[in-house]
Amino acid sequence: MIKLSNINKSFAQHQVLDELELELKIGDRIALIGQNGAGKTTLIRTLLGQYTAEGQLSMFGLNPRQQRIEVLQKIGFVPQHSPPIQMSVGELVDFSAALSLTPMKDEVYALAGKLEFDIEEQVGKPFFKLSGGMKQKLLIALALSKRPEFLIMDEPAANLDPAGRKAFFDELSLLPQNTTMLLSSHRVDELLPFINRIIEMDCGRIVHDQQLADEIKAGKSLDCKIQITGEGEAIRKTLDSWKFSNGSNPGLYSGKLAEADRTKFFIEIAQFSKQIKELKMEAE
Amino acid sequence: MSTLTLPLMGFQNSFITTVIAEIRESFRAKWFFLYTLIFGGAIVMLLALGITESQVLGFTGLSRLLITYIQLCVAILPVFILITTVRTVVGDRESNVLEYILSLPISLGAYYWGKLTARFIIVFIPVLLALSGAVFWGAVKNLTIPWSIVGYYSLMLASLAWAFLGTGMFISTLVRKQEWALGLAFLVWLTLLLFIDVILIGVLLQNQLMEEVIIGIALLNPLQVFRTGAILLFDPEMSLLGPASYVILDNMGYTGFLFYSILYPLGLGWAFSWLGYKIFKTGDLV
Repeated sequence: MIKLSNINKSFAQHQVLDELELELKIGDRIALIGQNGAGKTTLIRTLLGQYTAEGQLSMFGLNPRQQRIEVLQKIGFVPQHSPPIQMSVGELVDFSAALSLTPMKDEVYALAGKLEFDIEEQVGKPFFKLSGGMKQKLLIALALSKRPEFLIMDEPAANLDPAGRKAFFDELSLLPQNTTMLLSSHRVDELLPFINRIIEMDCGRIVHDQQLADEIKAGKSLDCKIQITGEGEAIRKTLDSWKFSNGSNPGLYSGKLAEADRTKFFIEIAQFSKQIKELKMEAE
Repeated sequence: MSTLTLPLMGFQNSFITTVIAEIRESFRAKWFFLYTLIFGGAIVMLLALGITESQVLGFTGLSRLLITYIQLCVAILPVFILITTVRTVVGDRESNVLEYILSLPISLGAYYWGKLTARFIIVFIPVLLALSGAVFWGAVKNLTIPWSIVGYYSLMLASLAWAFLGTGMFISTLVRKQEWALGLAFLVWLTLLLFIDVILIGVLLQNQLMEEVIIGIALLNPLQVFRTGAILLFDPEMSLLGPASYVILDNMGYTGFLFYSILYPLGLGWAFSWLGYKIFKTGDLV
């Protein structure tokens, strides 16, 4: 569906994309990770046809520079930084809807509502005067309501409050299985339930490309037991938040863990490693 | 829908959408408010000062008002247009607005020409309304309305506005920083201002340059062309202007120069805007 072959891009003799090779298939849900300056944003802008680059790039069999309208009709995009657009909220919705072949205006209002952003209330307000979270919610609603074949999001949840994040992830999980996603984020743990592939970039190259285990995709869960030592109020609170419980033995906690949450769980309890005496995990 | 009709439909749709969005945005912008205040306010101020009652070199009534208004326009219209237009593309690029807007299925041509068209409408409407207001006031006061002059001035102002809009868009696509765009805009304006008739006379006297060079400079300078054309209607003998204008008139004739003063800035605007579009389309968009 999307193929990049030997892509090179440089700015003032600084190589930002270096002989990049990448192929995305329909339904790939990718977490794009890498440090600042790794080339993630340049890759995204190249996919959107905003940068010229050496090499071969095919999006849905088309060239995003020469057939940009056809390509961009299939793409939903949420940028890392919400731009200071002068249009009012209503005008921005109308503007996007006018350019889209898919009737999307009602969908935008409904989706924004689910993300706890009421467009009606803010319809006349200039977009740039909205709070960071509100801007992000509207841009997400605009991108999702196009029903895109390919969704590109650059740090989409960065400005969202907890409720907004939950609503956003709920909406992501409802997208059709054939929607391809490229989600750039510094918090992979949050994305784990939605992705089936992790791509790591460094110095303009792909240094790691991993398909996630079938267990995660199948949504399997794990039986988990953890023995802690001492009082450890903080670790107990953390385990409570994961809905772990302790029975007659006050130091022995047990609970169920979704396979997809395994990495996130490890990251959270790693800080209490000195208080963990024993940890057992078994697939159900 | 065939793949051939999609881009065309996309262009029309994107173009109209961009024009409407840009006009709406401009109506809210502070620069537009200031612009309207200056060009509308100038006419009101001139009327309030009773300029139509005064007589200078035989000009009185609305003709006197128009000649003063046109002198004001030649002094401030180009710089105003340049300053506000040079930020169009480079400003959107710097603020990441362009990254988002161009991620939508909008044709590059529609975006660029839509912005330019909207800017032209926005820039020209206040000037046209000011001229219409003067005509209306003249009709109320039973003054003779010089229709041919009003019509010609409107065309000339449109042509001048287009020339500087095109130049502004060219600069806007050429540079990557707003500061550079503004600096370049001022440089262009100052250079053109330096080479209007008054300076040309000085150059001619001091350096005894070839007549063809002086005339060439005068004919290439849209400000000089506008100024000469504006005076020509009132003063066919060109007694108000300097030697360069005399020679131009001798070579091109009255009607020839009137046509030139409209067509040349128009062509210049098209040339620069087309160059700007080529730069915009072929390079990195953001």
